[in-house]
Amino acid sequence: MKNPARKNVVPQVLIQTLKTHPVILALIGFVVLFSALYPERFLTPLNFSTILKQFVTLTLFALGPSIVVVTGSLDLSYVGIWMLGGILVWLLMPITGMFSILVIPLLGLVTGFLIGVIQVKAKIPSFILTLSLLVTYWGITATLSGGYPRSVREYAFITASLIPHLPTAFLWSIPIILAAIFVMKRTRIGTYIYAIGSNEEGAQLAGINVDKHKILAFTLSGLFTGVGAVILFPHLGGAAPVELNLNNVVGPLVAIVLGGTPLVGGSGGPQRTILGALTYAVVYRGLLLSLLHPEAVQLLVGLLLIVSIVVGSRGLKGVTIT
Amino acid sequence: MSMATPAEAPLLEVRGVSKTFDGVVRALDEVTITVHQNEIVGVVGENGAGKSTLMKILVGVYAPDKGELYYRGRRVPFPRDPKEAAGRGISIVYQEKGVIPHLQVYQFLLLGHEDKYVKFSSLQIDTMKRVAGEILEELRVDCDIESFMYELPLSTQKMVEIAKAILSIRLEREDTDTTPIIILDEPTAPLAIEERQGLFNDILAMKRNSSFIFVSHIIPEVREFADRVYVLRDGKQVAYHDLTREKVTEEDLFRAIVGRGSSEYLYKPGLEKAVGEEIALTASNLTKNSYYYDISFHLHRGECIGLFGPAGSGKSEIIRTIAGLVGFDKGSLTVKGQTVKADELPHLRLERGIGYFSGETGKELFLNWPIAKNISIVNIGRILLTGRVPVISFSAERKMAERIVKKLRIAAPSVNTDCTSLSGGSKQKVSVGKWLERSPDILLLEDPTIGIDVGAREDIYEVLLEMKKSGASMILVSDDPKEYSILCDTIIFIKGGRMQRVLSPAEFREVTAA
Repeated sequence: MKNPARKNVVPQVLIQTLKTHPVILALIGFVVLFSALYPERFLTPLNFSTILKQFVTLTLFALGPSIVVVTGSLDLSYVGIWMLGGILVWLLMPITGMFSILVIPLLGLVTGFLIGVIQVKAKIPSFILTLSLLVTYWGITATLSGGYPRSVREYAFITASLIPHLPTAFLWSIPIILAAIFVMKRTRIGTYIYAIGSNEEGAQLAGINVDKHKILAFTLSGLFTGVGAVILFPHLGGAAPVELNLNNVVGPLVAIVLGGTPLVGGSGGPQRTILGALTYAVVYRGLLLSLLHPEAVQLLVGLLLIVSIVVGSRGLKGVTIT
Repeated sequence: MSMATPAEAPLLEVRGVSKTFDGVVRALDEVTITVHQNEIVGVVGENGAGKSTLMKILVGVYAPDKGELYYRGRRVPFPRDPKEAAGRGISIVYQEKGVIPHLQVYQFLLLGHEDKYVKFSSLQIDTMKRVAGEILEELRVDCDIESFMYELPLSTQKMVEIAKAILSIRLEREDTDTTPIIILDEPTAPLAIEERQGLFNDILAMKRNSSFIFVSHIIPEVREFADRVYVLRDGKQVAYHDLTREKVTEEDLFRAIVGRGSSEYLYKPGLEKAVGEEIALTASNLTKNSYYYDISFHLHRGECIGLFGPAGSGKSEIIRTIAGLVGFDKGSLTVKGQTVKADELPHLRLERGIGYFSGETGKELFLNWPIAKNISIVNIGRILLTGRVPVISFSAERKMAERIVKKLRIAAPSVNTDCTSLSGGSKQKVSVGKWLERSPDILLLEDPTIGIDVGAREDIYEVLLEMKKSGASMILVSDDPKEYSILCDTIIFIKGGRMQRVLSPAEFREVTAA
């Protein structure tokens, strides 16, 4: 039987969702646009698998930092953790064998904790601090590796294909994503992190230990990046790179901001970042399939970041934590 | 513009102004007000009555949907921006955030008019200082033009803002003989009582060559200082009184503003007090150098102590010390028998059972959050799925918020409504609601009802009195003497950072009535 009340509920929920996640409209728009422009190249299983692969890369890099962005700070150390972690795995491989991979989450945890403590105690802008740390880690990586990429083949099984056209790394990323969302939405720590980003003085007055939770936010960020990097290590070729690829730094940032986590903090978080990552992956892929020169694609990516930052900060009003 | 005009034509007349927001909310409905030469026109109403919208139309922030503007009897278009409004002789002094603290007085006075003091692309600092000095002297504002704005007392800052408004009209019109129309939006909101009187004396002195539109919801002030008063309610003009000709009581104005009579709380205080013997908090010889000295008192269970005194008397610093926001230098603070260290962080105060509730907009609220989250933030321990698993139950959170919303009569479509979209009074109710749910042993109140309308005030007093009855102790700091007689059992008079007298509510009423 038809329930008239229910009829009204569904569109309302839909409107509400689109209101709080306007990026969904952009995502649909881009998919429609690219499907119409070049259906025979865009609408293929291979293409979707490529998009998913990039989605995994973006998400696993951006998930942790998006927790930090909620507090109103920034964490750019993710690529550093992945690079240095990779070379440490290569170094430890002869000694600790298959357990070596665990060094990456450990490195992430320690890095996040250190950044948090320094940021809280020294009260310096986290952007500069984490950028410096990224460069430092890059330097250590280059030194330890002797200047050559070092490949470690032992972990290729992690991302070995299970289902055709569905990247295994994507399957792995699901529990990590869910864990991040759970921490932010359903626990006291997550709520307090949102509170600090929304109104730091208010958080203090509500009995929240602000410094402790800021450190926790960075630690969680490092931990999620570290765990994600375990997947990313084989996902991105199973080698410890020595060259800093700026794309890897900018892409996750675009994903966070595009998803609707304003850089001033207080709202957004991992659940939005995955939407941003998916949208960005679609846009990026769509642009690469076009006849545009790859350099022109970079230009557009830069513009996309600027536009999403502007929209993100202007659209702060009425945006709820969801 | 200064052509011969009929002498009886008012200086300014706004006729039949209407304004609708988003096509739904009718903020103003056919409102007409006039301003004559050298008078103070009061515009009163609750929050959301349309006062601010009307003023923003006058200074060109909003464009009206409908209506006419007459200046000295001649029809003129509505200004499109504040600069154009200044050209028409209208300028506004906002309630807050008008002052730029790190500018020197003369820089602040001429802010936005620097282009008139440029010679060979460098600023003529000496000329600027002379112009600034002249206007301050003319308006008898006593301050050093080279001091920074933040160094001035709040009331002097207000006067400098008024001077700036007058100056900008003159500079924009390039003459000195027009009568400026200055809109004062809740000018006394940040001031203590003594400062208020001083500010009004200065404003009355300035009436010689200016006209004022005085926007307020503080009834006694309007009754005392305005020549004529318009009452707005829900965007409509509901009453008009010429105070120079007719006798209007506070009660009359109150009824017009809220559309009903005042309840027992506001004008007939004196509820049953239930002060216990148990001591909740002790301050002994508490001293913060250059703010307050040797403050000592016992706060009993169920007692409310009011710290009463002018702004700058140290009362705010005392309550903030107890809240943990400001440290202290000497003396001791004991909460439930435990000594509190001077530099203890504020978040630990809540563990000691001390909550802090401030009326300052947005100070403790998470504005981009829904109501439910704002209420649960200090009550997370009560909405976990089970005691062991620290997972937040959204349904428990919603139920908790719904109970509070209902109890406090918070006007909102649902508990998921963002706090930004709430009225000032509802925001305050959400703030107090979270403490009602938490029920701390000691609640610190700093200006708990500042800037909110009469109806919401009553609701908040009701909640606070109920909490008190059930054993909560309170410390109040406010600028509204009535608030002390409604809430307090003991009032400590503070002046110059030192305790002067300890009064009972009855004694206090006698002192403040005199």
